[in-house]
Amino acid sequence: MADIGYTALFLALAVSFYSVITYILGGRSRDPVLLASARNGLLAGCGLVSISVAVLIYALVTHNFQIEYVAAYSSRDLSISYLLSALWAGNDGSLLFWAWLLSIFATVTVLQRRNVGKELVPYAAAIIMFTQVFFLILLLFIANPFQKLSYAVNPGLFNYVQIYADGYGLNPLLKNPGMLSHPPMLLAGYVGLTIPFAFAISAMLTRRLGDEWLITIRRWTLIAWLFLGVGNLLGAWWAYVVLGWGGYWAWDPVENASFMPWLVTTAFLHSIMMQRRRGMLKVWNMVLVIIAFALSILGTFLTRSGILSSVHTFAESPLLGTIFLIFIGLILISAFGLLYYRSQDLKSEAEMESLVSRESTFLLNNLLLVGATFAVFVGTFFPVLSEVVRGVKISVGPPFFNQVNTPIFLATILLAGICTLIGWRQTSVKNLRRSFLWPLVLTLIIGIALFLSGIRGWGAMIAFTISSFVLLTILYEWFRGTRTRHRMRAENYLKAFWKLIMANRPRYGGYIVHIGIILLAIGVTGSSLFDVSKEASLKPGESMTIKQYDLLYENTDQFLTQNENITIATISVSNAGKPIGQLAPQKTFYRNSQQWVSKVAIRSTLREDLYIILISSEEDGTAAFKVLVNPLVSWIWMGGIILVLGGLVAFWPEGRQSLAPVRLD
Amino acid sequence: MKKKFIIGGLVLFLAIGYLGFTGFRSSASYYYSVSEFLAQGTSVNGQTVRVNGQVVPGSVEQKTDDLSLKFTIAKDGQSLPVVYRGVVPDSFQPGGDIVIEGSLDAGGVFQAKILMPKCPSKYEPKGATPPTKDITSWQT
Repeated sequence: MADIGYTALFLALAVSFYSVITYILGGRSRDPVLLASARNGLLAGCGLVSISVAVLIYALVTHNFQIEYVAAYSSRDLSISYLLSALWAGNDGSLLFWAWLLSIFATVTVLQRRNVGKELVPYAAAIIMFTQVFFLILLLFIANPFQKLSYAVNPGLFNYVQIYADGYGLNPLLKNPGMLSHPPMLLAGYVGLTIPFAFAISAMLTRRLGDEWLITIRRWTLIAWLFLGVGNLLGAWWAYVVLGWGGYWAWDPVENASFMPWLVTTAFLHSIMMQRRRGMLKVWNMVLVIIAFALSILGTFLTRSGILSSVHTFAESPLLGTIFLIFIGLILISAFGLLYYRSQDLKSEAEMESLVSRESTFLLNNLLLVGATFAVFVGTFFPVLSEVVRGVKISVGPPFFNQVNTPIFLATILLAGICTLIGWRQTSVKNLRRSFLWPLVLTLIIGIALFLSGIRGWGAMIAFTISSFVLLTILYEWFRGTRTRHRMRAENYLKAFWKLIMANRPRYGGYIVHIGIILLAIGVTGSSLFDVSKEASLKPGESMTIKQYDLLYENTDQFLTQNENITIATISVSNAGKPIGQLAPQKTFYRNSQQWVSKVAIRSTLREDLYIILISSEEDGTAAFKVLVNPLVSWIWMGGIILVLGGLVAFWPEGRQSLAPVRLD
Repeated sequence: MKKKFIIGGLVLFLAIGYLGFTGFRSSASYYYSVSEFLAQGTSVNGQTVRVNGQVVPGSVEQKTDDLSLKFTIAKDGQSLPVVYRGVVPDSFQPGGDIVIEGSLDAGGVFQAKILMPKCPSKYEPKGATPPTKDITSWQT
């Protein structure tokens, strides 16, 4: 069984390598026979990788513990969905998953019908397949998911399987719906960034540096960005509801690793518009695409290298880390070298005309987002950097990331509002006054209302006012557009609004994403500035008070199952004197894996979350709790959902994709 | 026009640099292993640092009435007693690798504010503790 999987991978490597070479030769000679053959190689590669994935899934589902990976990451008591998730639970499997996604994306890329960018496909496909070759080599020679379990290599696991014959199993902490969605989403985001990179390099190689490569990659970039964003949000949600420390983001190196390419891709999605509208920022766009891809590989590498000694250190073979670093170096050197040689062809076609223009807001937004990425990068790698420079490891904690990024993100959000109200090139003062008047007046009213409602402190006032301003600018812009349509075409308001959005989905999808980001920002501001927490040890019948909540601890119940000791505490909660029901935080001890898993109890409303963690309990019923009141957290999840909706609106095929937006120069 | 943008960019760069610097000063801490940390002697008393080591099996003692967790971490033959109060992360395990943040008090006990155990072995079961006592060769 394992041999079939391994052989399929080996053959996949052969055809992928063949495909790289033939695509390059075909790209140079434009020989249709060669190109067709290269494409067949690519498709065969996809088929072969799919076979080996199918073999691994089959092995997982049929509990084939002769394969080390299956024995280490699954067990007989796992349900079918967690058996499937074991595919990406371990290093080897997740690399196979990476390669599989890439081969699927490659297949979609070459099978897509396109009016624009056909000439770019051969070299782009060659680069995608080159990346594929890299991952297949890793799988075949370093991280083989089909490795057979042997006493010589892993005696502990071998003995365990011999004695119990039911696999070591997935870590109980990973048995959560988050495990089914968070890792594959992030991986899909990482893998997706390969496609824009490949087309960028192909555009430089073929000297076809106009709009076509940007048109070709817009939707690929968007979907990769969306996957990364959703992956991160799901991770945050998972951390909040399961890992149970009361927070959703900790600036952990591995979180940062997936946040950085998202930030750079966000910048890129905006600067694409600068190039398509005004022919500006061409070199910059190339730089962003290259960096985004390098960061995606870096993220894949960080989760398994162990160079950053922090929460997520997975001691893997140092060889794997070294090879990844070599690959990243190779990407950076060759891509930037090529960019240098092509810099003459990438001259800007237009100059900035005014400081008060959409161009300058886009430029500033790009600088801020890249600045934030740089700060996150430095913070994440500071222990490594300081060790190289001074020989001591210095690590920086969350305060660093928060202090640097909060002003940057607030400024970025403010720019999104200003940008909505001003046009490309130059805007007259009269125009500005007309656009800004209503949003500013309404923002002022909201600001005063916030102050009167008892919100104090500069940080919160600034963050909430900026958020409402930007929200208002978007609603105002929608209102103006709808009104114009209503007047010009005599459509009723509802229809006019619908048509307005449908007529320019990328733009209005973008606005919807902005609304999602604003809700996120409001949620993050509320929960990080106004959270309250309290810890207490209570005997049954005792109670505690936090803000307007009274918590009466009733008792704890113990349950024993075959593998688990479950402790459930029951707490009766009243809100401002009114009973609102019971909450039951739990703690489960998994005897097999000697692992605790907490289940926090959350009562979530739009206003705030009441969040109870059971810390520990005693035989006599005494139990220790940590209780938090986190305001506005549900806004974060709502913002996430709206962000996805907006992304999908922008992603939806336009039907007239080949039409470039009107050039204004 | 170009000049204005260059100046603007420079101001921005300096602002980010300043933010980074102040943020760094308020949150940077030295990162030591247990033996490196103990080698510093009393010079590190009261300073916020991060220390890495292994939770010594059998040293862990959790009390419900004062929410405290006492344990010892060790590395390279040196060990350090630690006290922590609050929520213990689920991934905290006797025998597991951990990074703690906090400071050493005058009595030589490390007062930990944050516990950062090695992540729930997302990618690495080989370093996990033996599932049962009769298998001791698990660690490879």
